[in-house]
Amino acid sequence: MPKISLTVNGKTHTHEVEGRLLLVHYLRDTLGLTGTHVGCDTSSCGACTIHLDGKAIKSCSLLAAQADGSSITTIEGLAPDGELHPLQEGFKEEHGLQCGFCTPGMIMCAADLLSHNPDPSEQEIREGLEGNICRCTGYHNIVRAIQYAAQKSAVAV
Amino acid sequence: MELNGSYILPASTQKIWEMLMNPDTLAKVTPGISRLELESENVYKAIAEVKIGPVSGKFEGKAEVLHPVAAESFTLNVHQNSKIGNVSAHIKMHLKAVSEHETELSFAGKAHMSGLLARTGNRVMSGVANTLTKQFFQNFEDELAAKAEV
Amino acid sequence: MSNKFIGKSVKRVEDKRFITGKGRYTDDIVLPGMTYAYILRSPYAHARIRSIDYSAAEAMQGVVTIMTGEEVGHYGVPCGWQVNFKNGDIMKEPPHPLLVKDKVRHVGDAVAMVVAETRELAQDAAEAIIIDYEVLSAITDASKAVLPGAPLVHDDVPNNICFDWEIGNPKAEVDEAMASAHHVTSLDFVNQRLSPNAMEPRSYIGQYDNVYDKYTLYTSTQNPHLIRLLMCAFVLGLPEHKVRVVGPDVGGGFGSKIYHYTEEALVTLASKKIGRPVKWTETRSEAFQTDAHGRDHVTHAEMGFDAQGNIVGLRIKTFANLGAYLSTFGTAVPTYLHGTLLQGLYTTPKIHLDMTCVFTHTTAVDAYRGAGRPEATFLLERLVDLAALEMGVDPAELRLKNFIPAFDGVTQPGYQTNVALQYDSGNYHSVLERGLEMLGYENFRKEQAEAAKTNKILGVGFSTYIEACGIAPSAVVGSLGARAGLYEVGQVRVQPTGKISVFTGAHSHGQGHETTFAQVVADRLGIPMEDVDIIHGDSDTVAFGMGTYGSRSLAVGGSAIVKSLDKIIEKGAKIAAHKLECSADDIEFKDGKFTVKGTDKSLSFGDIALTAYVPHVYPANLEPGLDFSSFYDPTNFTYPFGCHIAVVEIDKETGFTRVKRFIAVDDVGNVINPMIVDGQIHGGLAQGIGQALFEGVEFDENGQITNGSYMDYTMPRADDLPMFELDRQVTPCPHNPLGVKGAGEAGCIGSTPAVVNAVIDALWSAGHKVKDVRMPMTPERVWKAMQPA
Repeated sequence: MPKISLTVNGKTHTHEVEGRLLLVHYLRDTLGLTGTHVGCDTSSCGACTIHLDGKAIKSCSLLAAQADGSSITTIEGLAPDGELHPLQEGFKEEHGLQCGFCTPGMIMCAADLLSHNPDPSEQEIREGLEGNICRCTGYHNIVRAIQYAAQKSAVAV
Repeated sequence: MELNGSYILPASTQKIWEMLMNPDTLAKVTPGISRLELESENVYKAIAEVKIGPVSGKFEGKAEVLHPVAAESFTLNVHQNSKIGNVSAHIKMHLKAVSEHETELSFAGKAHMSGLLARTGNRVMSGVANTLTKQFFQNFEDELAAKAEV
Repeated sequence: MSNKFIGKSVKRVEDKRFITGKGRYTDDIVLPGMTYAYILRSPYAHARIRSIDYSAAEAMQGVVTIMTGEEVGHYGVPCGWQVNFKNGDIMKEPPHPLLVKDKVRHVGDAVAMVVAETRELAQDAAEAIIIDYEVLSAITDASKAVLPGAPLVHDDVPNNICFDWEIGNPKAEVDEAMASAHHVTSLDFVNQRLSPNAMEPRSYIGQYDNVYDKYTLYTSTQNPHLIRLLMCAFVLGLPEHKVRVVGPDVGGGFGSKIYHYTEEALVTLASKKIGRPVKWTETRSEAFQTDAHGRDHVTHAEMGFDAQGNIVGLRIKTFANLGAYLSTFGTAVPTYLHGTLLQGLYTTPKIHLDMTCVFTHTTAVDAYRGAGRPEATFLLERLVDLAALEMGVDPAELRLKNFIPAFDGVTQPGYQTNVALQYDSGNYHSVLERGLEMLGYENFRKEQAEAAKTNKILGVGFSTYIEACGIAPSAVVGSLGARAGLYEVGQVRVQPTGKISVFTGAHSHGQGHETTFAQVVADRLGIPMEDVDIIHGDSDTVAFGMGTYGSRSLAVGGSAIVKSLDKIIEKGAKIAAHKLECSADDIEFKDGKFTVKGTDKSLSFGDIALTAYVPHVYPANLEPGLDFSSFYDPTNFTYPFGCHIAVVEIDKETGFTRVKRFIAVDDVGNVINPMIVDGQIHGGLAQGIGQALFEGVEFDENGQITNGSYMDYTMPRADDLPMFELDRQVTPCPHNPLGVKGAGEAGCIGSTPAVVNAVIDALWSAGHKVKDVRMPMTPERVWKAMQPA
């Protein structure tokens, strides 16, 4: 079994993993980081979106072994304990979530979007969320939550 | 899914017939087939590895030649099982001499899929079937050419 | 009573755990010694099982046990609603075994369950099980399954008919009305099958504790107590007090998590058998094959009008697909949740529905957001819009002419329909008028005329709907065949320090009960919201409950809580009166204080709570404690209504249809939290628009689902939808204490026909006078509708 070593939310982990183990299952089952969800089996829903070396990826589309040596951020590590990232705050303020299942993936995807495009238009936000499915909100308030975070971050700068 | 097509191969009907009835040749030219063993008369055990659109898998099953009329026609019944779903196909093959050295091989039939193949492969299946068919005839031609060189 | 929270967009208290990744869904739960189940499913829609050989699988590494129909096939899940044939015969109710022994009846039918040390090992072993199938021909279309010679799903169900059913006026009267009509609009259409697609796949954990002889089932359900009742009383025969069912955080339901599924009973049985917890979580592919689907009606509908444009009659023939087995509420959806809504908002004097409910070799069909009511709204609203086009009159005018006049249900009686229901209160004209105003109707028609000359044509579609929610008065549904009561339970426990624990039988899986219910409690008691906790989803802590569906949580569950609050205030007044030395009648409770009327003598709610638990100075003959539980059984359904308007733009070259605007004016009665109600409407709209343009489960001729994944089944995504334009009107419900009607399904009920009507309107504006474009209205279908016949 391959041995991997990687940094997750600032902490280094070393494990022997089965070759076929998906990164998402490594995060959920081995590390107990269950904020990253599995919503499909075709890499289509985006519920498992995390950041790998600063970029949003779907953690179901990568083997744990492929993530060897990388640095990963999950929803649990997006903001320091007790604080909220502007996006987390935006989702709460604008009612951008209902059942909460797609939310971590949405937030991680949106964080990547805002890092490239700090002031996206409505259309750019909608296109940026192309890889993530939400069944509850109709996306209306997710768009507003991201606009809220963009505005808040702009003020902070 | 409908399977239809025809192709002209540069050899006599007799030669084509012999090649079609030879499991080794058939295994060589059929895309994805890694092994073809004669089990009983006209019944082959077939093992294939195929990638179809987003799904790929190892297939195991049987191929059966029915109603063979030498150098003219036969029906091929294929039933393949795999982890990603099963395929059963019923295909009529016809050989027709175009000239002394040319044979038109035509086929018509239907294939049914189940499981993951049906669920996620269907959309791209006819495209895949076309590709596989093209490969089959290309391989057949290559095999003919190789034999001619010998 | 205070007024600090009700009616305000209070931010949700449950959000924090979800936005930080700390939500706890069933699949997140890990128990010591846990094993994992994989279910081997039929790849065929219809086949006889000749043999199952699991000897090799059983010997594989990590396999704990393998179960087949031989072992558990005598257990089966029940149907919760009996509907009879027109002639009085009882519906056909074939068994739905936990695992199939003899014959598989749809793709995904469960044949064997492997339990192993890991999910992967279970799957490896399942793949080593050899099943010899004799493949049989299958039927998937309900209208064809009834024809002679169609393959039978159940050998003892002739013509695959589960039952036939009718509702409305006598058929002869409706025939007469239609015969005398000046104009009849008729339409044949398919209300296609949908997959609910809650984002969290179903997940269950069975855990048997041999010390206490107690079972625990963690389940992604909308109604834990209902699952416990069904599983104990009808499936496994377990003693109910020895079974705990927990519905932790649940990632959406939309109906699909109401039903008692076979896998819930399977993991329960398996955990007892092996003495370890057993977890099963479905894959999305399995969800497409096994989560109950919605809709699937094949309909012929006719609406008759007199020369003045008044509706004179409605006649409908529908075949409803139930799938291969009866799901928990599968039989109620096309009948009592559908036929009873065919009055719509109109004064139609004669209505008749002839319904045939049919078995096919497909996944079971049951309630999906709206459940029967979207199908009713669809056929009514399509007919009215099409009639307007055919008769050359304005579709909004035609509706206004035929609407039931406004009534408040208090000073004026409710409206008795021709299809059994009595509407509680309504003001239908004003929602449509408000919608037209938001649209800028006159201006739009000018824009449309201009656009008709270009490559991007425009259309507007209207839909005015009513739904029956707040399900439901037990006596009424009982007389109609429901095998359960549909009341709700609400317990309010005041702790000695004045903090409140509320136990509700409703279950929140996105609806925000932890917030809205707390708003109600905090205002009624005049205390801060932080002092209130809403507890739900655990049969060991919540006394009982019927769960969340049918837009019932606040109307029924909230009312049960209010009943308990009333009891608390009444008892609190007695305690206060004793301490303040007056009569209880002289005590007034306001802003968290019990005050002697007309004085400044008062005691706070906290003082009274403490006194109730430390009863040193206390009325004689009064029990200590401040803890009340109430059952609330509604006296009627609630009837939200509204007007939805879609504006679409169609690319003439490609048929690509874009929803440019979507306007929704809904009246859901009083509103506790506008932000949450708007959110519910948004989500419903997306699902309704999804049905119109994107979604639909497709089967091939062998009964294979050909789009059973997110690569093939088109889910609405962010860039498929516009920002929604919402407004609200409030006509309070006259028969529950909060005056609320329910908002969960409204968006999904009204929106689908609005989009289809808009596409048809656009096509007519460009001279393509088609009656229908089959849903989902893909670019190909819309493009074809624009080609010369």
